[in-house]
Order: sequence, then structure tokens, then C-alpha cells
Amino acid sequence: MSLDLAGWTLFAATIVVAVLRATTPILFAALGGLVSDLAGSINVALEGLMLIAAFFGVMGAVYAAQWWPGLPGWACAWLGCAAGLAAVLLVTATLGFFHLELGADLIVAGIAVNLLAAGLTVFLLVTLVGDKGSTAGLSSPALPSLHIPGLGGLPALDMLINGEGGHGHHVLVYTAFLAVAAVWIFLSRTRYGAWLRAVGENPQAALGAGIPVKRMRYVALLTSGLLAGLGGIYLSMGYLTLFQADMTAGRGFLALAAVFLGARRPLGTLAAALLFGASAVLATQLGALALPTQVVYMVPPFVTLCALVFAGRHKPARTGTDTNTDTKNTGRKGPPISSERLSA
Amino acid sequence: MIQDTASSAAAPRPWQLPAAIAAALLVGFGITVLVSAEPWRAWLALLTGALPDIRFSDAEGWQVRRLVRFGSVIEEAITLTFLGLAIAIPFRARQFSLGADGQMFLSALAAAAVSLALGGMGYGAFAVLPAAFAAAVLTGFTWGLVPGWLKARYGANEIVTTLMLNLIAVQLYRLVITQWMNDPNAGFLTTPVLPAAALLPNLLPRTNVSAMLFLVPFVVLGAGLLLTRTTVGYEIRTVGQAPAFARQVGMPVKRTVVLSMALGGIFAAFAGVHVSNALLKRLPVDLTPGMAFEGLVVALLARNEPRAIPMAAFLYAYLRAGAQAMERTSDVSREVVLVIQAFIILFVVSERLLPATWSPARLLQWVRAPRAPKEAR
Repeated sequence: MSLDLAGWTLFAATIVVAVLRATTPILFAALGGLVSDLAGSINVALEGLMLIAAFFGVMGAVYAAQWWPGLPGWACAWLGCAAGLAAVLLVTATLGFFHLELGADLIVAGIAVNLLAAGLTVFLLVTLVGDKGSTAGLSSPALPSLHIPGLGGLPALDMLINGEGGHGHHVLVYTAFLAVAAVWIFLSRTRYGAWLRAVGENPQAALGAGIPVKRMRYVALLTSGLLAGLGGIYLSMGYLTLFQADMTAGRGFLALAAVFLGARRPLGTLAAALLFGASAVLATQLGALALPTQVVYMVPPFVTLCALVFAGRHKPARTGTDTNTDTKNTGRKGPPISSERLSA
Repeated sequence: MIQDTASSAAAPRPWQLPAAIAAALLVGFGITVLVSAEPWRAWLALLTGALPDIRFSDAEGWQVRRLVRFGSVIEEAITLTFLGLAIAIPFRARQFSLGADGQMFLSALAAAAVSLALGGMGYGAFAVLPAAFAAAVLTGFTWGLVPGWLKARYGANEIVTTLMLNLIAVQLYRLVITQWMNDPNAGFLTTPVLPAAALLPNLLPRTNVSAMLFLVPFVVLGAGLLLTRTTVGYEIRTVGQAPAFARQVGMPVKRTVVLSMALGGIFAAFAGVHVSNALLKRLPVDLTPGMAFEGLVVALLARNEPRAIPMAAFLYAYLRAGAQAMERTSDVSREVVLVIQAFIILFVVSERLLPATWSPARLLQWVRAPRAPKEAR
């Protein structure tokens, strides 16, 4: 019996580890979405930004190894990470420039950035690697994992803390959960966080109070790009150690859903991201059953829809065309898909 | 009081669309120059590759070649026109519904199922085709109701719900074909070939350009009339332009939101019928998803104005066919068109060519006293 129990604990620990791995990229992107959403700039480009970072992370690491042959693998990996983040910041800045300076609608511009990312990554993949599918032909390094020693006596705990194979969790898995705390502190305990939320609540009032509205929106967008980029880098330099065309597979949009589901709060977003991670793991576990694979693939989007319905069941419906007067009544602001931009 | 997005936005700046396309092509060319050994040849192929080859020689007289490729431009332009309308109708109500993909997949499936069932029973084209259209339209409408209802009742963001519904629809499509509609003799996973009674008559030999082409003007006209001459259309435009006003005068805002997405589904259904009963004549399990995003570009290029959508669809189909020619004849892959497409969108939706703060006076002010610019966004 006790052996059975140990077996089950080990199994449960395996599942938890798998959920953590599946949650990490969604969590990063969702935190990014949260920051920009609170500043009143809904970032639908999360998906494309993840893709950009995933691609340039891998390519940066590969080229670093080519240009400086003496460099150790870990240094190449970190250089790649930096390259990925630089690329994602550049693309986010482009998005911000078109939205904030040239007056482009943020949602449409975000969709354009998603297209740009899907096209640019495959285009550069073909040009630089000569392969349309992935960088499987190149050997690209992963970012390191953190091993916590001294837990060999407790297999379940060891599994939980150090993951399968005992290598420890990926450094970005830790970073993701630290980022939740960081975002929470930033939003609720710093002056800039308060400014950022003020800008999202009522830009005119914020401007009147002397808050640099446009600058805060740039900050919010760039932060969200940075966080989404970390999620993308985890995908290509942790979850897998290669870049695949369209490897984000809708995680950026799941992240957007996680923001709404989490009631636009850091901890709620964390819970929603965990739910989506768990539903992805559930889908792979169901794959062991005799169900058709198509049914299994339907599980995560279906869970997302159910979760959105659950999150919205008590609220008076927002049609997205609501104006600021309504947001005062409901106590929270709807997604800023309002028509105000048309007149701006 | 209520102005049209399309007319008010487009009228004062007639140069913007050509300028946006030219600018986007320039950006794309810049990227090509960076990575390609033969950028000029690649771009010649991109811009002229879709044209039919018309030649005159003394021995053979006038000869038209490469008509197949131009036929594929027309085929794709038809699909994209319908998908563009499917995106544009909800957009006019400010609903960012991207559900055209799922609506098209399920509509194509419904049309194929009805065609196979009725055609198998020996009914003629006059019974089978209307039934197939009806089944598809009903499916598209119903699948469009879902995100609308989720939005109106639960406040669920329609970008997320439509994308999730797309994923579900594509898997449902694959499930139905694999489990129930598979043709065991085909050698790959696909439905049986649709009976002849269900196929639209062909217009151009060796291509799939069908009588659907004649339907396009009527559908476009129908969409235009729907928006400008019906109560629902007026409500859709008003909710999109001035939601506060719409609510104030007691318009059924929620119903309009739901209907805009469901009505868009009808046009996606036409695209579905076109794919199943004209282009492919059977439905393979691996039909590529993602066409809705192309429809999105078409809708944006046309500024959501139904009349302009066929032109935008043709332009874009032309560019895509050119990209395939470019990929075959040069070292540049066709994905560069996605990049161009993205920049076309960015330039088209921009309201200014230069930031407002970049006028010399504002720049001086910025240098002297760096502070927040006056406008909020």
C-alpha cells in the first residue's frame, strides 16, 4: 500500500512538473498582456512577439557560437537570449510607434505584428538555415537549469523540485514565477505602477494629473514585449532546444484569455495560466486513452471557452463597445476596444 | 450625425492606400535586398509572375500561356472576397471577430455532406446546389452566433473566443472526415469526390474558375445593401461608430453585436462552398487553416467597405500568386509576402505619415523642455 502511495505521489509530482513546464510560456506572455492591458493598451501581438523572441534567441545563440568559436555554450545561450530580447523590444517599439505616434489602431496593428512575426521568422529561417520547418539541423544551446542538491532521499520531492531526470527546473521557470511577484510589486507598490494603472483607467484624468501618458504606454508595451519575449525564449531554449515554424501554437492568445480570466490581477492571471497549462497536460494525458486525437486537441480551447464563460457569469455583459461611463458602474474597465480611437 | 468609417476616413486621403502599398512593398524589397543574391529578379517575378503570358509570333499567331496561374488568382480572389466580407461585417460593428476560418471549415463540411447525401440519392443540380448553399449558410450563421452570444452574454473577448472556436472547428472538421466521411479508396484521408450535380459549372478550362464568379457581384451588392439599406445594417454601423449614442437612443446593442458576427458567418459560408464545391471538389483532411487572416488583410485594405473588397481581394490574390512564382524562380521564399502584408496593414491603419510631435516647432519645444506631449494617445 505504501509503495502504491509512493508511486502515486511520484506520478502526481510528475504531473505537477509537467504543468509547470506547460504553464511557464503562457504565464510570461499573460503577465505581459496584463501590464499593457492595465495601461489601456491591449496587446494582441503577444503571439507574434513570442515567436520573434523564440526565433532570434536560437539564431543569436547559433551565430554567437559561429562568430566566437572559443565561447563556452552557456555564454552563447545567454547571448542568444539577449538577442531574442533585443529583437522583441525592437518589434514592440515598432508596434508602439505605429500606435502611439502614427495613430494606428492597436488591435489591428497587433494583428499585423502577428502576421509579420509568422512571415519574418519563416522567411529568415528559409534564408539563413535553408529549412522551412525548423532549426533541427543546427545545434542550439539551451539556457541552464537550476539543480537543488540533497533531495535524493525523497524521490517525490526530488521530482517536484528538480524535475524529471533530476536536472532541476529551467532557469526561466523560476523567473516566470518570480515575475509574478515582480509584476505584483510593480503594479501595486511603486509609483510607476500606479501611474500605469491610472493611464489605463482614465487617460484624460491621468494627463491632467501630470502623468506622462504616452511614455507610460510605451513603458507598458515594451514591458509586455519583454515578458512575452521571455516566454518565447523559454519555448525555443528550454521547452525545446530548437525553433519551429509557428511553435507558439496559440499560446499568446491563451495568454490574452488568461488576463481576462484572471480579472486583470497578477495572482488571478497566474491561476488562469496554471489552468491553461494543466489543460494542455490533460490533453497529452488523454492521448494515452483510445480517444481520437482531434478530440484531445479540442480540450484546451474548450477549457478556455468554459473558463471565459465562468469568469463572465456574474458580471453584467460588456459588449466591448462600452464607454468609460459604464466602467465606473462595473468597477472595472472593459477591454479598450472602444470606438474612441476612431475619433482620435 | 453618424458618418461612415469608410467614406469619412478614405475620402480626404485618396493617396493613402497606394502610398501604403508602395511603402510596404519598399519595406519588403529592403528586406529582400538584405538576404537575396538576386533581389531584382525575385521582385520581377513577384510583381509580374501572376500575369498570363500573351505572345504573338508569325508561325503560331496569338498565344496565351500560363492561364492556369492567372486562373488561380481569380479562384483565390473569389475566396478572399467572401472571407473579406465575413471579416468586414463584424468589423463595422467594431467587433474584432476572427472566426471566419472556423465558419468556412464547417460550412465547407456541411456543403460537402449535403452534396454527397443528396447527390448520392440522384437529385439534379437544381436541388443539390441550393441545398448545399443553404446548409453552408446555416452552419456559418450558427457558428458565428456562438462568439457573438459569448460576447453579449458573458463579455468574453471576441478575439480570444473566435480563435478558440477556430481551433475547435478545425478539429471537428478533421474528426468528422476521419471518422465518418472518409473515402477508403482515396489513399489519403479525404471525403469521396462530390457528385457532378453538386459542382458549380466551370468557366475556364484547366482551372477551377467556376460560375461562382457570377455570384460574387450579387453577394458583394447584398453585403453593401445589408449595411446601408437595412435596419440591422444601420444598427451595425451605429454600434461600431458611436456605441454610446446607439445605447442612448435605445438600439439593441447586444443583439446587433451577436448579429454582426453571425451575418459575417454567412459570407464565410460562401467561401466554404467555393472551396468544397468548386475548387477542391472533395474535402481533404489537411485543408490548411489560416485563410481568415488573409481575409482580414483584404477587409482592412478595403476599409471594410463591401464595394472595395473584390478589388482588394484581387490585388492580394495577385500578390500571393506572384509570391509563388518568385519562390520557384529565385532564392526568396514566399513568406516575404506575409511581411509585406503586415506592413500594408500597419501603413493603411496609420492616421499620419509622421508623428504629430515631429513638426519643427514641436521638436524645438521638445528639445527645450522635454515633457509629455499634449495629446493623450
